[in-house]
Amino acid sequence: MSTTSAPAAPTRPQPRPRVSPVKQTLRLTRTEITLFARYKTAWIYALLPLFFLFTAMQLPPDPVVGGFGLGEMTMFGMIGVISLIFGVGHASNVFTARRESLVLKRLRVSGVPPLAIFGGVIGVVFVFSLLLTVFIAGLILAMPEGALPRDPVMLFTSVLLGSIVFSLLGLAVTPLVRNAEMAQMASMVPMMILLFSSGGIMPLEFLPETARTVVGLLPSMPAGELVQAAYTGYDVFGGFAGAEEVGTLGLWTAALPSLAVLGGWIAVLGLVVARCFRWDPRQG
Amino acid sequence: MTTTNPVPDTQDPRATALEPAVSVRDLHQKYGDFEAVKGVSFEIRPGELFGLLGTNGAGKTTTIETLEGFRRPSSGTVRVFGQDPYGNPAGVRERVNAVLQGSGLMEDLTVQETVALARDMASTPRTAGETLELVGLTEKTRTHVRQLSGGQKRRLDLGLALLTRPEVIYLDEPTTGMDAEGRIDTWRIIQRLKDEGTAILLTTHYLEEAERLADRLAIMHRGRVGVEGSLQDVLSGWGDRVGFTLAADVPTSDLPRLDGAELEVENGGGQLRATYTVRGGHVDERAHHAVSALLAWAEEHGTLLRNLQVRGASLEDVFLQVADGAADLISD
Ligand SMILES: Nc1ncnc2c1ncn2[C@@H]1O[C@H](COP(=O)(O)OP(=O)(O)OP(=O)(O)O)[C@@H](O)[C@H]1O
Ligand SMILES: [Mg+2]
Repeated sequence: MSTTSAPAAPTRPQPRPRVSPVKQTLRLTRTEITLFARYKTAWIYALLPLFFLFTAMQLPPDPVVGGFGLGEMTMFGMIGVISLIFGVGHASNVFTARRESLVLKRLRVSGVPPLAIFGGVIGVVFVFSLLLTVFIAGLILAMPEGALPRDPVMLFTSVLLGSIVFSLLGLAVTPLVRNAEMAQMASMVPMMILLFSSGGIMPLEFLPETARTVVGLLPSMPAGELVQAAYTGYDVFGGFAGAEEVGTLGLWTAALPSLAVLGGWIAVLGLVVARCFRWDPRQG
Repeated sequence: MTTTNPVPDTQDPRATALEPAVSVRDLHQKYGDFEAVKGVSFEIRPGELFGLLGTNGAGKTTTIETLEGFRRPSSGTVRVFGQDPYGNPAGVRERVNAVLQGSGLMEDLTVQETVALARDMASTPRTAGETLELVGLTEKTRTHVRQLSGGQKRRLDLGLALLTRPEVIYLDEPTTGMDAEGRIDTWRIIQRLKDEGTAILLTTHYLEEAERLADRLAIMHRGRVGVEGSLQDVLSGWGDRVGFTLAADVPTSDLPRLDGAELEVENGGGQLRATYTVRGGHVDERAHHAVSALLAWAEEHGTLLRNLQVRGASLEDVFLQVADGAADLISD
């Protein structure tokens, strides 16, 4: 340890330059990625989508939209909810554990704003969702009738919005539970509901029109549909039957309601997290 | 006789000239029906260390958590740089840091990674080398946090709190778990922070720590402050004890009255023991005056003060008295 130096006279504090919250978010994302990679069980979250992908391949190959069969459409839907598995699973788990071990409290007292802390976990969910998406896109391309997404930007948008919605959902679970194990259990409920309503595990074609509309208000179906549309270039937002191939502008116009649903969920969950998030194990 | 303390050397005039960086006024804090903090008030100015002592569960950490912005006061006000710290808003958060009672480190990162992360989050941080040097962890940079010993983690906690060059720092039992060397090093670091003008709130169960470092201190018990003031104020209220065994041939009525002192005579094992509790006079000198008066008296009476004992007031005495709930005796 160092020796005492001559005491400096107390001075009026200089105003400090602000660290940009964006920079802080990106920096925390980097650490989140390091931790995610070291935290081995997190890789299970990567296996789950691959498993569902495999089951989707067993679906009948008859074309339903353009040249794409039900199995392929389901696979595309699956891509839409990769971030659901990472977001709800990982975020709820680690943030509960970190709250209980005072890591979150430590970050807050050292002056890191909540937005950067939440942004960091959204960042890692996004990065790993995107990596897995690219990997699966590679698999799809390597298949006999391989295809590339017709609208990669829409695919990217779906992964990004999904990462935000589902990470926020994972964060919203944490105030309800006391420890990381409970967080995993508690997050299973919304995760399963959202998985089965995504169209990424089983097709939602059999649902009656009204049921489809209601399910479409949950965030997972819009996320899945965006990927299906991105891959096929067809307006699948009203169901597969009678879906038409449309141009880029038409596709984005057709996507607006789905984008709005995701945006709405981001707003609502963002508010819930901002209001109810607990930083301190003794709180509440 | 009244105590007229000269300005204690701890009250630096240049410090008192500054606005308080932290002020807590009549803070009450409730957990449901349980009131953990029942009307606590204090101020901390730049360059000043306020020691918040107290029994387990007294409400020290709760008070600090309120300052850190984790909870809103049930009633009363807290201000940091004149701002409400709830939610650690911009304008407060860049200028404040803390050592929590529990660690809060990311166990899967190395020491180096931990410090690098904290640096990149801060506006004008110390260098990693300087920080680790300060807390004596230079040799541990590559070690994973989970592999550090308890005391090493505590050092890292302190390092992280110093790293952002805070103007206000809350230290909740910072030396708990440190070895003697680490503790002394920490005192040196804290002293230096004070000299640099940092406003410091320190809680500790090591009373020596508070004795050495605190400009002012408060002792809490069950949510209330029992005694508050400079170390001198607090100790002077308790008094020094001068005791001796009375020779058999001296009647108790011959014992002298001393200014500002109370006499008590006890019978123990067939012998009489006289104890003077000296509260009057300057805290540093009153024991001397009492003893010299007693020696003069003994000389005059041709007797001896057998088994003479002088016991200064210690913070521990005061602490125990507060913990016993007898604080009213000595509070001002
Ligand atoms: N969430 C809570 N619900 C109910 N009681 C609580 C809660 N948090 C703290 N308490 C109680 O508030 C009181 C004050 O706790 P606090 O942690 O502030 O004490 P402390 O002075 O820091 O004690 P120590 O010296 O042991 O750290 C304790 O009796 C504690 O049990
Ligand atoms: Mg405490």
